Amino acid sequence: MRPFVYEQPADISAAVATASRFTTNDDQPTRANAQFIAGGTNLADYMKLGVAEPNRLLDLNRLKESGLRQIRVTDDGIRFGALVRMGEAADHRDVTERYPVIADSLRLAASGQIRNMASLAGNILQRTRCEYFRETSWQCNKRVPGSGCAAMEGVNRQHAVLGASDACIATYHGDFAQALIALDAVVHAEGSRGARKMPFAKLHRQPGDTPHIETDLVADEIITAIEVPAIPWARRSLYLKIRDRESYAFALASAAVALDLDGETVREARIALGGVATVPWRASAAEQSLQGKKLDEASAEAAADAAFAQARPRQHNAFKIELGKRTLVRALLETRDMKV
Amino acid sequence: MSQPSVASNNGFSRRRFMAGTVSAAAAPLLASTAQAEAPVIPQTKLRQPVVTSLRINEQPYELSLDTRTSLLDALRDHAGLTGTKKGCDHGQCGACTVLVDGKRVLSCLSFAVMNEGKDITTVEGLASSDGKLHPMQQAFIDHDAFQCGYCTPGQILSAIGCVNEGHAESENDIREYMSGNICRCAAYPNIVAAILQARDETKGA
Amino acid sequence: MDAAAPRPKENMGEPLPRVDARLKVTGQAHYPADLPTANIAYGALATSSIAKGKVAKLRLDEARAVPGLLDIVTYGDMDKVDKPKFGNSGATSIGPLHDRTIFHDGQIVALAVAETFEAAEEAARLIRAEYEEEKPTATFDSPGTATIPAAGKSPLFKEDVKAGDFDAAYADAAVKIDQRYSTPTQHHNPIELFSTTAYWEGDQLIVHEPSQNVTGWKVELARQLRIDPAKVRIVSPFIGGAFGSKGPMTPRTAIVAVAAKRLGRPVRCVTSRMQAFGTQTYRAETRHRIRIGAGKDGRITAFAHEGWEVTSRPDAYVVGGTSATGRMYDYGSVLTHVSLVQADRNTPGYMRSPPETPYVYALENAMDEMAVALGMDPVEFRRINEPKAEPIGKKPFSSRSLIQCYDQAAEAFGWADRDPKVGAMRDGDWLVGIGCATAIYPTAVAPCAARVRLTVDGDVRLQCGSHEIGTGVRTVAGQMASERLGVSIEKISVEIGDSSLPPAPVSGGSISTASVCSAVLMACDAIRTKLYAAATAEGGPLAGSHNEEFELAGGKILAKSGASAKVGDVLKAMQVGAIEEYAEFAPKGATPEALKKLYAGTPEFHGGEQDEDSVKYAFGAEFVEVRINRYTREIRVPRIVGAFAAGRIMNTRTARSQLMGGMIWGIGQALHEATEVDRRYARYVNRDLQDYLVPVNADIKDLQVILVPEVDHAVNPAGVKGLGELGNVGTAAAVASAVYHATGRRIRDLPIRIEQLLV
Repeated sequence: MRPFVYEQPADISAAVATASRFTTNDDQPTRANAQFIAGGTNLADYMKLGVAEPNRLLDLNRLKESGLRQIRVTDDGIRFGALVRMGEAADHRDVTERYPVIADSLRLAASGQIRNMASLAGNILQRTRCEYFRETSWQCNKRVPGSGCAAMEGVNRQHAVLGASDACIATYHGDFAQALIALDAVVHAEGSRGARKMPFAKLHRQPGDTPHIETDLVADEIITAIEVPAIPWARRSLYLKIRDRESYAFALASAAVALDLDGETVREARIALGGVATVPWRASAAEQSLQGKKLDEASAEAAADAAFAQARPRQHNAFKIELGKRTLVRALLETRDMKV
Repeated sequence: MSQPSVASNNGFSRRRFMAGTVSAAAAPLLASTAQAEAPVIPQTKLRQPVVTSLRINEQPYELSLDTRTSLLDALRDHAGLTGTKKGCDHGQCGACTVLVDGKRVLSCLSFAVMNEGKDITTVEGLASSDGKLHPMQQAFIDHDAFQCGYCTPGQILSAIGCVNEGHAESENDIREYMSGNICRCAAYPNIVAAILQARDETKGA
Repeated sequence: MDAAAPRPKENMGEPLPRVDARLKVTGQAHYPADLPTANIAYGALATSSIAKGKVAKLRLDEARAVPGLLDIVTYGDMDKVDKPKFGNSGATSIGPLHDRTIFHDGQIVALAVAETFEAAEEAARLIRAEYEEEKPTATFDSPGTATIPAAGKSPLFKEDVKAGDFDAAYADAAVKIDQRYSTPTQHHNPIELFSTTAYWEGDQLIVHEPSQNVTGWKVELARQLRIDPAKVRIVSPFIGGAFGSKGPMTPRTAIVAVAAKRLGRPVRCVTSRMQAFGTQTYRAETRHRIRIGAGKDGRITAFAHEGWEVTSRPDAYVVGGTSATGRMYDYGSVLTHVSLVQADRNTPGYMRSPPETPYVYALENAMDEMAVALGMDPVEFRRINEPKAEPIGKKPFSSRSLIQCYDQAAEAFGWADRDPKVGAMRDGDWLVGIGCATAIYPTAVAPCAARVRLTVDGDVRLQCGSHEIGTGVRTVAGQMASERLGVSIEKISVEIGDSSLPPAPVSGGSISTASVCSAVLMACDAIRTKLYAAATAEGGPLAGSHNEEFELAGGKILAKSGASAKVGDVLKAMQVGAIEEYAEFAPKGATPEALKKLYAGTPEFHGGEQDEDSVKYAFGAEFVEVRINRYTREIRVPRIVGAFAAGRIMNTRTARSQLMGGMIWGIGQALHEATEVDRRYARYVNRDLQDYLVPVNADIKDLQVILVPEVDHAVNPAGVKGLGELGNVGTAAAVASAVYHATGRRIRDLPIRIEQLLV
């Protein structure tokens, strides 16, 4: 690990000012000399591996703004402070009751210890766990732009079938993000250019030719909150995560589903897919295919086909297309059958 | 400038020299260009040790630490508390679990300096001063909830955290919420039985 | 009664809690990297990122500039040290710093030593290699492999066993199968990281390192360093999981010792989890072809097992499980052949039941297929083919309780309720399948020395250079002394894990309990003899009770006549403060050099298939239930029952735990464990616990271990068969059988994963 200077800014504006002083507008947050740390579960790991090499860490845990640590329910929805830990949010009664898909996505992620450490903002910004990215001796366009992608023709069972490019097929491994993108969450951020909010769907960038650009954030921007709108029917929602072992593993395929049903007919469906895509993946075509239809195995399968119509397999991950479809079918039917 | 050593488009049979990194080595290609634009940090400041105050098992410690030192290495190499174990150093096994302000966390993924002023509980701090074991420790003995014993301190701290969090309501709960602690000897059924016993004892107490 | 402490049945010892349990739950059990060492310097390895070629140039300037860096040990620095030897004490013959040739991915290129761990690690990352790279050969089917016969390449695998005329019998068989199976590369991944701490006191070298073989390492390290073995001490009081990985010494040990010598201070090097994949051994990937022929009555008439195993270029590591599979059933005729496939890989090595895990998996999966082909219950099929003598040398089994194991496990599992029809069992959206398989492991024993001291106060000190890898050897050795000397376990201290103690064999091959307990038994009996002689001597407290049976209990000698004498009084009468006996146990059939070889760190193994009088194995039967989601096809094992017979059980608690751990390992073998190899580069990809999956707590639900009573006096004086490796043999085949039962899909390549069941 490279040595670094450690600082504890007192508030958001101090954190932004310090970050601004040691970074430029062109710096990617993940590549900047000054980087923010909260839980550290992702960044400390990548610093140890030599993947992230900041020489200045700005610890956000002592920021004085109390809203950063709160979950607030309003008429408009629910607002998660960026520093709320995953474990706290997963167990929060308003979350488990109003947004089961969020609670599930948090509860099924990582381990109890990691959920106690990891902040919500840090979680959604977590970087891929692609082994060719993690180990610095492999070619990786995300880590070293232009160096090539060893995963493309390598061992790519874990890799993405949706949203991949010729430069990168690394999977986005988070779970929470799937719930957020499905529910049209909004991300609040503050940086030297001021405060802004953006739809969650705009936060992550597909790899394209520039897989090293992972999000829309600039290096001195801090996520301060995540807002999820009030969706009364989101009580009928769940997150289904399929993995090789029962717990503490990344998804091979997952689905976040929320359904507004009129009897068995779909008024509105929200669907996002995990474990199969390079970014949190909203399955809009699948949602549209269900609208106004009776939800049964056939319509669920049609929606799943629509969701994976653009999927592109590599040597070892072709099964993810079939698995992803079946995961979605199962999630849709289980959501339909929820007692709410 | 170094290159990833595995670039292979030209084939391997041709004898050629590759300027490559060894596998431990990073290739800070763009990092170095980015650095040129940023203010240069003097080396002395960059490598200055930071005095960190921790309260470990109710004892105050003042440690002079490299900012890079993990809480795990601080405990083991600087505080001399080797009960906390390093099993992967990357948050994948749970052997390094300790309680920080009462919550179970992975000490390998936390820089020690981030824990300034915090209360740390390690396996050395569980038994009472008269030598009476914590109910969780005794339950682990009673149910043979270990074999080699290496993951055990982490299991025990995680188990205490799990019970405190209210995630030990059922056997299935315990299995799920203890899945962040890998036991390669695979004492899992005995660990679950031990946690049930300790949970009931601490509830009754 | 608590499941962890099964009530002892016939020929079973009490489920005493582990004598070192308190140390383990309080953090006071010191694993080698925990041992306090003053003024320590930290080492970090730099390893190669290519699998074949040469290191043309190593650039150390950036690494040397790291503040706090003390030294870099690399090419040229090991010139006065001999290369490692491949064998029981040595993992490989590759001396990574002896020349610049790269034989495999992750080969050690340098050791950086610094004042702090952080500086050492930083410096190691800054060591830059320039390679002269060649295209490597990764594994089976890669261009450039060389295939050679395995027989004779290892002292443990002398020949391809055969019996009768397989070709004729197979041609004539009414029902037959001919199938291929495979198992992947696997790494032990004990949770304790591999580490070496070395320091010199004058010309004496002390090494703290987790080791399953302190005596062997002492001798091998001394040979490499060209010093007297008496000047080397290996200290390893607790080992954080081993499973074979800490049996042979790896090249790192000598490198760290050299660094400590150069610096004149202790050096500790803890290998990272990633680096362990290339610097330690692993389970070789294997392929199998099995042919079985039988009559319509289910009697097997022909069995052929061919195996192929990947090994490194320089070292012929042999897995070689055909000596067990070839003797498993009453086959009629047997044909076997094992081949080694050499590739540009690090040298594989022993991993929990090294030969049996892959070979018995293939055999038992094939047996299940054969039962299906015959339309026969798989348990019945095995019962029909139960042998009276093993088919190769026609020797009897010293004991064989396989059918009892099947009967008891089947009963506990509820096998009789099984609907044999494929896909017949469902629970909502879950397909249910159940299956079974046989477990077998050879019962071996090796020479072992032990020193036991009984004091006038009734305290016992037991010393033996064996190893606590989780098996509970302190506890069972203490129990043996407790029983023979009539002293409660609390009065016994057990010292192990140090090469300065009386030598014990490697703690591998499930020999430790048998070998150590036999030596302890010998030493204790020598003490008994002396005590009794003194007690019955003229003027002694039991004078006149000569030639009589007696017991030692509660600190007293109890004669059959009813007379008794306090042990302390006898010692006082002898005018000694203690009796100390040093025993050197050599098993039946040992050669005249057997003890010499024990001290040389190369102990003879006896038993298994090698003895003249009989073959010696432990057996078990495992039944599993799998559940597979009808949509998404993830596979779970909610229930598993195993019944095992392994001679005398010293302690039902530690025995059950080992078998339980083995069964869970078996589930991992079936469903999870595989090291992925990037075939283009012959490099490991998933070298961490993120993607090298092993079972977690949530994967294991209902697990039952049945200890089946068995008495076998032929195996060794202690009557003990090993069981540390028995539990994970066969499990994967039982899972494959259950998956077939649930889905109708026969999976022959491990691990069994979702993608194999989706299509």
